[in-house]
Amino acid sequence: MKFRCERDLLLGVLSTAGRAVTGRGGALPVLSGVRLEANDNQLVATGSDLDLTIRSTIDVAVETAGATVVPARLISEIVRSLDVGAVEIEVTGDEARVTSGRSQFAVRTLPIDDFPRLDPPAGEQVSVPADDLAAGLKQVVLAASSDDARPILTGVLMTAEEGGLRLVATDSYRLAVRDLPDATVLGEGQKVLVPSRALGELIRVLGSAKEVHVRLGERDVTFDVAPEDGAKVQLTTRLIEGEFPNYRQLIPASYPNELTVGRETFLDAVRRVKLMAREATPLRLTLSEDSLELMAVTQDVGEAHEQLDASYSGAELTIAFNPDYLIAGIEAASGDEVTLQTLDALKPAVLRTSEGPDYLYLLMPVRVS
Amino acid sequence: MGGPRLHQTGAPNMSQRAHEVGAAQRRLRVLHLDIDAFFVAVEVLRDPSLRGLPVIVGGTGKRGVVAAASYEARAYGVHSAMPTSIARKRCPNAIFLHGDHGRYGEVSAKLHEVFRTVTPVIEPIALDEAFLDIGGAFRLFGDGAAIATTLRNRILDELGLASSVGVARNKLLAKLASEAAKPKASRDGTRPGRGVVVVAVEDELDFLHAHPIRGLWGVGPKTHERLAAIGVHTIGDLAKIPTDALCATLGRASGQHLSQLSMGIDDRPVVSGRGAKSISHEQTFPTDHHDLEALHGVVVRLADAVSARVRAASLAASTVQIKLRFGDFQTITRSVSPEDELTTATQFIKAASTLLNDPELVAAIEERGVRLLGLGAANLASPIGLQLSFDAQLDATNDVSSTAGGGSDADWAEVTETLDDIRARFGDAAIGPGRLVNAREPGPGRELWGPQADKR
Repeated sequence: MKFRCERDLLLGVLSTAGRAVTGRGGALPVLSGVRLEANDNQLVATGSDLDLTIRSTIDVAVETAGATVVPARLISEIVRSLDVGAVEIEVTGDEARVTSGRSQFAVRTLPIDDFPRLDPPAGEQVSVPADDLAAGLKQVVLAASSDDARPILTGVLMTAEEGGLRLVATDSYRLAVRDLPDATVLGEGQKVLVPSRALGELIRVLGSAKEVHVRLGERDVTFDVAPEDGAKVQLTTRLIEGEFPNYRQLIPASYPNELTVGRETFLDAVRRVKLMAREATPLRLTLSEDSLELMAVTQDVGEAHEQLDASYSGAELTIAFNPDYLIAGIEAASGDEVTLQTLDALKPAVLRTSEGPDYLYLLMPVRVS
Repeated sequence: MGGPRLHQTGAPNMSQRAHEVGAAQRRLRVLHLDIDAFFVAVEVLRDPSLRGLPVIVGGTGKRGVVAAASYEARAYGVHSAMPTSIARKRCPNAIFLHGDHGRYGEVSAKLHEVFRTVTPVIEPIALDEAFLDIGGAFRLFGDGAAIATTLRNRILDELGLASSVGVARNKLLAKLASEAAKPKASRDGTRPGRGVVVVAVEDELDFLHAHPIRGLWGVGPKTHERLAAIGVHTIGDLAKIPTDALCATLGRASGQHLSQLSMGIDDRPVVSGRGAKSISHEQTFPTDHHDLEALHGVVVRLADAVSARVRAASLAASTVQIKLRFGDFQTITRSVSPEDELTTATQFIKAASTLLNDPELVAAIEERGVRLLGLGAANLASPIGLQLSFDAQLDATNDVSSTAGGGSDADWAEVTETLDDIRARFGDAAIGPGRLVNAREPGPGRELWGPQADKR
């Protein structure tokens, strides 16, 4: 195998494919590598940890077709260190030679026969506008759990909802729900649970693409992204098996208290006051007529207060939140204004955006004495 | 010998402009305050008919010890840490009370509120005792004598408690000064103390040297014996011995330390004791326990008492400790710091049980028996709160979650709040853990000094 490629393009595909390489392979050392295949003037780089597989494809000048597996981290570091210009990679026996200008590296390859074979994606292909999906995923992925002890909560539920697509995630402290009314991905009544980590990677590659093609298999889902410039990316992830909790029952039917406040103003103030909410101290919000007061007190450190103009209807109430969870919700909400609806200091509060009913962020408070 | 000066200063008038405090007075910035017979005084407030009687608070079982004695009882030679059996012999007419540490904790919290009106730099030593650095308070409140008098009056007015205050240049002298200010017990009645003693810099050595060496930190029974053997009885005697000679008798570290103290040199600052503070209860059993089940019952009781004190002081613990003394007197401690801060008895029980269920420990308990069990809350700080979750609702459907039966921490926090309310209104005995309902009387379970221990 022998091919030539611009350093920046090569680094791009290696990095993208390398994001699936976690070293979690453990028993399978070859999974610490990235598979390179040169054929028909194309280079395909593949990284996988068995759960998630990312393939990145670019046009290159192929002299001899072939395939190999090279250590993912090492090859990326080498290519990144090179000067801008052409890079040549040639594999002979169990050695990959990387040449650029007067630099030369010889890297021992990994056994290619051990590398998992990925079945070609099955299922019918559906297309979704990339920017819609990216925006929706960003608003939801943040609420998914990263605790592997509760695998179901590490996923994002994708479900057909009134002809559109609904995305749902919760880590048991907050719940994010986003409707994409124009995206028809799933058949009526269909739902899948997709690992949030894979969707986080998908957001990264959606970038400048116009469309994303989705193919839903029995046990996995594949996303194909072809941006106008740059590498084509195919991302395949296994689906999480099991039943997502009944999130609908978490959302209270109505709220007696409703606060409306400018989103940027609110966000800036929360970030400021958070400076004094150290060591996991919560942020307290006091809601009263036409005003919102934020307060944080950390023992032995100090305190911060800020008062905001806001429109409020309801009973005077003090409620405390983890500031990071609150910030994540306000950031995700988008729009000029957000509304915060509450029942009392111990019940979930809901954050919505002035932009419309398509997004909801439900947040459990911190119980303070 | 020119004794310490007693300043008869009235309470400073707060509306006055900034106080002018002279340089000599500004050096006296350490204040030590101690409530007179604290546990007894709290009991008397609850039941004024006890006033003037010999009252002893402590464990009443076979191995119980005295926690506090009224001055009337002290006149009979009863003092704290004395086995209750001896106290009974010396003062058979005394009224013996089990004590109510939940209540003492509440009063202690109020006491600290009064301290905080003067300075934030407070080093708590015990529930009723603390060092205050008053260096930043002179301008507002006047000199040490004025601050001491203000504090003492406020504590008497607001809490109904008499206290003794010492003011001096350092901790050693301030502590000795507050002792000198205390009432003295005698068979003819209690002689009132001076209340406030200020040790001026020029009087320090005269004041210090008249004290017996027992008054110094670091002089235990052993050291006391060795020093007595070479004719050293007072701190003045000690000051006359060259440091080298002292080191030869007591060892280098101890010799140098005592030599410094005997000169009135003590550089330890007053440090706000947060983080170092702990709240603990322990129980000595009339007969050794070999049975883990019985110990779990004691854990419930101790956890109830300790957690009530932690909450009464508006604190939360990061660490739970258990202390075990085996039948052969070997004493061990184990501790654990769970992820969430602890305030409820349920949390303490869970943590302590985890420690107690260590197989190695279980084997030792069964083999050697347990004489004493203690439970402590450490790394105390203002509670930061408990992040609530959807788990309770999620559990109700289908997700497998981490909370195994018995309700979530949040549920227990709510229950505990209600429990505290009920106790505040109807007394500590009004409600308690179900496990303790059938505790035999007057069996070992009733000997604890805790919120639910019977009062009479």
